[in-house]
Amino acid sequence: MSSVDKKRSNKLVNFITNPKYLMVLATIGIFCAIYLVGAVLYGDKGFTKLRTFAMLFVDNAYIGISAVGMTMVLITGGIDLSVAAVASLTGMFIAYGTTVLHIDPVVCMAFSILVGVLLGLGMGALVTYLKIPPFVATLTGMFFARGVCSLISRDSISIDNELIDAMAGWKVYFMTLKDGEWVKIKPVAYINLNVVLFIVMIIIGTIILQKTRFGRNVYAIGGNEQSARLMGLPVDRTKMMVYGFNGFCSALAGIAYALYVKSGWNLALQGGELDVISAAVIGGVLLSGGVGYMIGTFFGVLLKAVIPSLITFNGTLSSWWGKIITGALVLLFVALQQFVMTGSGRKKKSTKQK
Amino acid sequence: MLDHDVILTMKGIEIQFPGVKALDGVDFELRRGEVHALLGENGAGKSTLIKCLTGVNKMDAGTIMLEGREIRPTNPQNAMDLGISTVFQEINLCENLSVAENIFIGRQPMKRGQIDWKEINRRSAELLERFHVHIDVTRPLSQFSTAIQQMVSIARAVDVDAKVLILDEPTSSLDNDEVQRLFDVMRDLRAQGMGIIFITHFLDQVFEMSDRMTVLRNGHLVGVFNAGEITKLELVSTMIGKDLDEIFDLKRAEQKADAGQMLKADHIGVPGKVEDISFSQKKGELLGFAGLLGSGRTETAEMIFGVTRMQNGTLVIDGREVKINEPMDAINNKIAFCPEDRKRDGIIGDLSIRENIYLALQARRGMLHPMSRKEQDALADKFIKMLAIATPDADKKIRELSGGNQQKVILARWMATEPDLLILDEPTRGIDVGAKAEIQRLMLEMCQNGMSIIFISSELDEIIRCSNRIIVMRDGKKAGELNGEGCTQADIMQMIAGEKAGETA
Repeated sequence: MSSVDKKRSNKLVNFITNPKYLMVLATIGIFCAIYLVGAVLYGDKGFTKLRTFAMLFVDNAYIGISAVGMTMVLITGGIDLSVAAVASLTGMFIAYGTTVLHIDPVVCMAFSILVGVLLGLGMGALVTYLKIPPFVATLTGMFFARGVCSLISRDSISIDNELIDAMAGWKVYFMTLKDGEWVKIKPVAYINLNVVLFIVMIIIGTIILQKTRFGRNVYAIGGNEQSARLMGLPVDRTKMMVYGFNGFCSALAGIAYALYVKSGWNLALQGGELDVISAAVIGGVLLSGGVGYMIGTFFGVLLKAVIPSLITFNGTLSSWWGKIITGALVLLFVALQQFVMTGSGRKKKSTKQK
Repeated sequence: MLDHDVILTMKGIEIQFPGVKALDGVDFELRRGEVHALLGENGAGKSTLIKCLTGVNKMDAGTIMLEGREIRPTNPQNAMDLGISTVFQEINLCENLSVAENIFIGRQPMKRGQIDWKEINRRSAELLERFHVHIDVTRPLSQFSTAIQQMVSIARAVDVDAKVLILDEPTSSLDNDEVQRLFDVMRDLRAQGMGIIFITHFLDQVFEMSDRMTVLRNGHLVGVFNAGEITKLELVSTMIGKDLDEIFDLKRAEQKADAGQMLKADHIGVPGKVEDISFSQKKGELLGFAGLLGSGRTETAEMIFGVTRMQNGTLVIDGREVKINEPMDAINNKIAFCPEDRKRDGIIGDLSIRENIYLALQARRGMLHPMSRKEQDALADKFIKMLAIATPDADKKIRELSGGNQQKVILARWMATEPDLLILDEPTRGIDVGAKAEIQRLMLEMCQNGMSIIFISSELDEIIRCSNRIIVMRDGKKAGELNGEGCTQADIMQMIAGEKAGETA
């Protein structure tokens, strides 16, 4: 091996064994493994077709959008239980606004986002300034949002609006060149506006977390809030912005969900916050804060999505197996986190005692 | 008066805390290129003075001049911007971030609106190189030893163009080599003209490093000395305001010849940790446990208290053979245990002194017999008076106390259960000379009153001073036994080193 090669391989080993990346690599690895299993078992039924893959995105984009904000909250060491309720409130605003009150959908969406950000900032203020544990603060936010949602309407409202229809119906098809002409591939595969939003949000989230001071402060707070304060970082402001951003993501996820189901319902997305949190956890975000990557969350969402897809392809298994496997995966990742984190922690402690 | 070499002057600093005047008219002066030790017992006001300089505490009176301009730092960041950097005792970095990021977070170099990671990693490596630390700066901080972490926090502190560097107990978690490395760095910085304020409990280090020393006592300035002007003994008595002889005039507890047997351990052990330990202890006897860290002293104590389950051997307490499987069994046999790491295993920081004291007694009485508030108050007041715990009242949170006073509260907790056997694991670590002497005096008093004490300590002089008999441990085994009377440090060290086989009892 030449010295350049050796250096490169050293770098690679360093990269893989770096606990920072270990969790993300595990997520990607497990996703690939499960996808491969599916490919082997149900390849003949079309599991490997691009359509199946694209549908993973289409069917879960709203969870992914919310998971972007949740990732950031989790990295600060917080949690947000209100995301699904806020998303459902957004859906209700849009459904009731456009269909019952006949308000312009753009206004409805802008209003929803405003409300989402304000709710996020409100909960952020409870957490930051009143030192209320995030679990409790966002629980109240959740009840508040569900309550307002039910006040508006207790029935499901189907959305009847041209612009919404147009947005929901907007699709980009995967094409292939056949006899010198572009034709849709068979079976038809497409992505829609929600998928674009999801991917754009993941990219924005990555840039914020990796390339801005604000993003790095988020990690520092999750690592050790007291230290972050003593290092002179703007802890309070950062936390407020994180919860505000998450409120924005919840509202955006609500819009995506409204486009997906084209209705608003006060009981929509019941328990959805746990789907979002588990997607982030499976993506390697540490529940105790300080560790996590947007790309991990991205694969976490996909990993969580591919399991029900596999079960559908199997055809005989009860769909509840999806929940069981998801639960097992969350457990696996939490255990893995414990192992990786305390493993490196213990090493340090032993040198301390020397 | 206008000395251009003076970089920082603090004049007439006063800080009032609820119930106590933490600082009362304290002056402090720091010159360019000097290491200035700030000394005093716990609670003398050193930390308060530093917190005042870094903007954590607000002063009630006084002025701070930095390079001739009056400053009023409002928070640590502000102080840092002014050129005052602090390295705190506890490492205040984020373990989840990389080494490089810990140095640069909050002031990252930016390129085209984005964080310039390459520059961060390059400059951090360069900076640490100056401190002779050669590590991969992209690795998370958690992977490195405390010493390296300490270096990283110093690197962070000095890279911000600091004029004044405050080192608050930087050496408390370092071993000797690491301390020397830190001192090299300090000498470099001093040569570059930085003013360094150095706070430490280790007087040897004070004498090795500092050019001048300022001594505080009870929030007052006691004196400023040049190195070489004062001996260690004089310094200590200045710090505590008493003569040394008076402090260390301790008499070993007298052993009654007819005292009954308290404890007999017969070949007890946990394979792989400690093996084959036998010893006996009389009532009212203070039994010292000496040996290196990790030689099995703590493990033996934990076995007797049931923290780790004994697998071999038998334990006879007060003439009865007993089985101790968990701490509750030990407590029921009237054994009490003060663990080594009081921050982790001992105090419950958010509870008050009163609650911390009655905890163990309440546990023994059981849930169904709660102590009334009146009983609790009486108990707490009794021990606060008896142990001279420095606090305005019993309802102060324990974490607001100094280390020595916290230790006394823990002692009180166990004394309240009126144990027959008290195990103290390093009860005097990290506390100052005066408090140390007080704790030792208390131990001896308790022995005199018939309590048996197992006293584990790394400091040979205090073991010798207090113990009736000394058990020396080596590599998880008992290396030998010595009489406290007439024993010297050399005897113990020889036994630890295994040069001379001790007579086994």
